[in-house]
Amino acid sequence: MTEPLISVRNLTVRFRTDEGLVTAVDRASFDISAGEILGLVGESGSGKSVTAKSLMQLNGDNAVYDDESRITLRTGDEVVEVLSLKRPKDMMVIRGGAISMIFQEPMASFAPAITIGDQMVEQLQLHSAMSKKRAEEISIEMLNRVGISDASKRFRQYAFEFSGGMRQRAMIAMALSTKPKLLIADEPTTALDVTIQAQVIDLMKDLVDEFQMAILFITHDLGVIAQTADRVAVMYLGELVETGSVRQVIGEPAHPYTNGLLNALPTIDDIYAPLIPVPGDIPSPLDRPSGCVFHTRCGQVIAGTCESEVPAATQLDDGHVCYCFATAAGQAGQKAL
Amino acid sequence: MARFVHFTSIRAVMALFTLLLVSLIVFTLMELVPGNCAERYLAFKNTQGSQISIADIKAEEIRLGLDKPFVQRWVTWVGNVFLHGEFGDSCILRVNINQLLGQKFLISLGICLTSLLLAYLIAIPVGIIAATSNNAWLNGSLRFISYLGLAMPNFLLALMIMLFSTVVFGDSLTGLFSKEFRDAPWSYDRVIDFLSRAWLPVFILGWSATAFALQTVRALMLDENGKLYVTAAKARGLYGRRLLWRYPARHALGPIINSLGFDLNRIFNELPIVALILTLTESGALLLEALARSNDQQLAGAIIFLLTASIVSLNFITDIALALIDPRVRRSVMG
Repeated sequence: MTEPLISVRNLTVRFRTDEGLVTAVDRASFDISAGEILGLVGESGSGKSVTAKSLMQLNGDNAVYDDESRITLRTGDEVVEVLSLKRPKDMMVIRGGAISMIFQEPMASFAPAITIGDQMVEQLQLHSAMSKKRAEEISIEMLNRVGISDASKRFRQYAFEFSGGMRQRAMIAMALSTKPKLLIADEPTTALDVTIQAQVIDLMKDLVDEFQMAILFITHDLGVIAQTADRVAVMYLGELVETGSVRQVIGEPAHPYTNGLLNALPTIDDIYAPLIPVPGDIPSPLDRPSGCVFHTRCGQVIAGTCESEVPAATQLDDGHVCYCFATAAGQAGQKAL
Repeated sequence: MARFVHFTSIRAVMALFTLLLVSLIVFTLMELVPGNCAERYLAFKNTQGSQISIADIKAEEIRLGLDKPFVQRWVTWVGNVFLHGEFGDSCILRVNINQLLGQKFLISLGICLTSLLLAYLIAIPVGIIAATSNNAWLNGSLRFISYLGLAMPNFLLALMIMLFSTVVFGDSLTGLFSKEFRDAPWSYDRVIDFLSRAWLPVFILGWSATAFALQTVRALMLDENGKLYVTAAKARGLYGRRLLWRYPARHALGPIINSLGFDLNRIFNELPIVALILTLTESGALLLEALARSNDQQLAGAIIFLLTASIVSLNFITDIALALIDPRVRRSVMG
């Protein structure tokens, strides 16, 4: 088996705040292989974005990474330990080099007073010694590729002159112009109309094939994940609770939280069906529950265990992993039969 | 380019219109003061021992054109101001206001603009560094100096400096010229003498203006720095000075330019007090004299009009500068 493109091991991120250290991500481990789309799902505040930003060391100055946290990036023969990069100059490998990122708000992610073209050219010239003319050609080509008509005119315009969908296309064009190995898409379609959403998702899937690139797709929308991702990681309060292929996680969810998320999805088949939300609210990161972090909202709590002990990984099928005592007990029961 | 000329001319017309409106307000205020120039002058003469009658006042009113309707008088006044830069005669002193104000207004304007320039020359780099630096000591001391500048009244600072200078140098540093140069024609020595004294009002006015501007720049920079496009630029590999100047600093520049107009206004407001304490013989002091003591509406009106005109002009310039640096402004005004 080939080595994954990026390996995250025991990623623990804490933030120094006035209220003390706040844990945002707790011992998260996952891999992304070349050309694979990994969907990272969870509610707001579950630590999805912090996890993604860690891959580029983009969390603020008050972020503290645990000593045991490892993020290993393999591009060709080169192996980069992401978290040991200290100087911004060295970080260029992960920032815009091997990894690019697009954000939820395409309007806010472009500098408002610099043309789209200038920002694209700047990035290209930053990462390779190419002439301005060549960088312009590549940028216009990329804008064309993502389906922006009249690209050479659009190239000289500002973000506020674009429509919402067009901005996200331009953002994708800019992110891919340096040919990254991994694209981090942080809720890229959340701010878009549903029809535009579908277009952008199709575009991203096309581009993965064309550029042989992996995507870390962050969203709270399981519907989008089902359409897009190869594999899924479900996150709750900074911890991964279940990972596996889309078929495994969405078809045969093992963790009570994943189940809850799926039940909470509205369906179009039965418009009178009541929505079943996951009960309770996500606890404050300042006051993380002991044991399994989900036990305060879980319907399958095993008294005496879930409140005090941290669940270990339970291997279900090939590549399907779940962190839950109830699931583990169920599986043990099946094996005993 | 044609669009830009179009935009500039529209703004110029708007500025002129604002000035016209200001002139109407100023002229109306002058009218609202009880009595008119004729009465005031004759009352002044009365104190000098002359006997006056109602007929004298009437004759004086006709001579000054005060018997004409309000609007007609306003049009005449505005016409003279705009077309000839002529403010007429002072009510009481009966001398030409242009002559009376002469260089005094220019000196006031110079002092205020220099303070403003100084304030921003210091505040922009220091504010940007303070906003982006994590150095607690630097930030703490800057904040302390800044609050000191905001909290300490200008007149207190002026008095303290005067006291200090009197004790140490035996010269209170008041006035804009030394005795020997006060009425001398402009010469190299007089300029040097002027500068050796003018730094003090510039310093005092600039002190609080700097403190104010520093807070503005710092807050604007912190605001821009937290925006997503800065993170996005970082995610593309940008860092250091290139990131700082091209992204947050460049985008904070617009609101900074915008605040110039307000700050000039504030400095103008503080000038008369500082002028009074330092016994400066410039137009701020003259305004106080005209408003508070002699009730000379013509002179006061002229000064207020000139002050407002300076602020309107500065705002016109900042509007143009804003359009030059910000495409969104350009687009919103030019369609």
